[in-house]
Amino acid sequence: MHYIEINGLRKTFVVKKKREKGKLFRKKETVEALKDVSFSVEKGELLGYIGPNGAGKSTTVKILSGILTPDGGEVSVGGRVPWKDRKEYVKHIGVVFGQRSQLWWDVPILDSYSLLKDIYRIQTDDYKDRLEELTDALQIEELLRTPLRLLSLGQRMKAELCGSLLHRPELLFLDEPTIGLDAVSKLALRDFLKRENAEHGTTVMLTTHDMEDIAALCSRVLVLGHGRKLYDGRLQTLLEQYDYDHKVSARYEDEDSGNIDHLIASMYKELDL
Amino acid sequence: MKAYLTVFRMRNRMELQYRGAVIGGIICQMFFGLILIALYRALYAGNPQAIPIEHVSCYVWMQQAFFRMLVATDPDLLDKIRSGNISYDLCRPVDMYWFYYARIMAQKLMGSLMRGIPMLVFAAILPKGWGVTTPTTFCGLITGLVGLFLGLVCMCALENITMAFTMRTLDPRGMQSLMNLLMVTMSGNLLPLTLFPDSWQKVITMLPYAQLLDGPIRLYTGEYVPADAPRILLVQGIWAVALIITGYAMWNANRKRIIVQGG
Repeated sequence: MHYIEINGLRKTFVVKKKREKGKLFRKKETVEALKDVSFSVEKGELLGYIGPNGAGKSTTVKILSGILTPDGGEVSVGGRVPWKDRKEYVKHIGVVFGQRSQLWWDVPILDSYSLLKDIYRIQTDDYKDRLEELTDALQIEELLRTPLRLLSLGQRMKAELCGSLLHRPELLFLDEPTIGLDAVSKLALRDFLKRENAEHGTTVMLTTHDMEDIAALCSRVLVLGHGRKLYDGRLQTLLEQYDYDHKVSARYEDEDSGNIDHLIASMYKELDL
Repeated sequence: MKAYLTVFRMRNRMELQYRGAVIGGIICQMFFGLILIALYRALYAGNPQAIPIEHVSCYVWMQQAFFRMLVATDPDLLDKIRSGNISYDLCRPVDMYWFYYARIMAQKLMGSLMRGIPMLVFAAILPKGWGVTTPTTFCGLITGLVGLFLGLVCMCALENITMAFTMRTLDPRGMQSLMNLLMVTMSGNLLPLTLFPDSWQKVITMLPYAQLLDGPIRLYTGEYVPADAPRILLVQGIWAVALIITGYAMWNANRKRIIVQGG
């Protein structure tokens, strides 16, 4: 039994189009965000989840975090089904949506944290320890008493991450967590995630367009396109195989991410995504 | 339970931050109060009504004082729904209905207390027939306060229903203006319900909007005698339960069909 098991996951959305001239009703169109996606993840794995825009990545994350109900397929995370029995399930997961905010705009972030403490029913001692650990690692002690609205994007991201980890989730979803971060913050964030994964055995599922993040963090990548799984395996293997098959002119070296971007881009194009 | 209390407390604190808005609100509401009372006095000078003018002026002041309870919507909540930040709240181990209910109640309670108390103090020093009157009986005061609390409970439930609608339409404006129109007319804010024709009152006072402020105020002024109180409070209680059940069911239904758009 794997920690996360996904079998034949499907999700469709109905999109209403602009009304055409002379027609009475708007046309509705069904978009298949996920068509039959299956994979599994072991406990403690750092999984990169990539794909072009609109591939269905965020939809998967939303289903796995219990927000959306899929149209078909089976999902089990640690023996639980996310959208059933939601309240029990979400106690064990943490989510960071890079483009959204969970902290209160007008109040100091420490107050938002103490609300999270009560929401997740964290014991006071445990909360203090954990908060200290996280603020040390993310270097945000001096920001704790500042209202969120006064923080920069990067500082906010760190604060958000801290908030999502206070209750020691065993599974962490990161949806584009490095948007807008400077180089130093990015590196710090990566180190932090690696440590969190190594020390606490947190399973991490990372969705991003930053190939450097993936190369630095993830032992395994999953490529999604048009709602289907295209590749599942090591990033290195993906790149080598692709480079070999298609003789892309851009040569890459291990640490050279600019070329990884080139490779990935030509791969997306080739596959007509 | 603690989470709901904390969110209530935090929202209260947030409300305290907007002191400028409070002062503006008080001045605006006082102006409205005085104009309305002048209007009713003019009406009474030409054509005296069955209800004494003291009751009407008291009614007007109470309505103005608790105006914030009636038509205030939490912009942050609407924003969350529109922008999709609600996804974070959806993956918390709490009951969404009560989580938002606590927020709404904090805003309405704190907002109206901050505005209402200074205004009632001001109204108390106005001459008789212009300001508020003291309750005729002690019982009237107590039942009035209980009624006011039940009114708040109904009010928050109504607001949460608007929120549930907003989750479907993603834009609060249509539903809000409809609700506000109903609210302002049917709750007696525009014209005290006591001045409506008797036959109308029979129907209007049974609607949920009359439970918010009209019932409690009439208990306070003594227009409803203490013997009426159990019946008034019972109607309020029934509406409170009905509105909460409706809102709760709507939130649950929303959960099943929810789509969080974008990124």
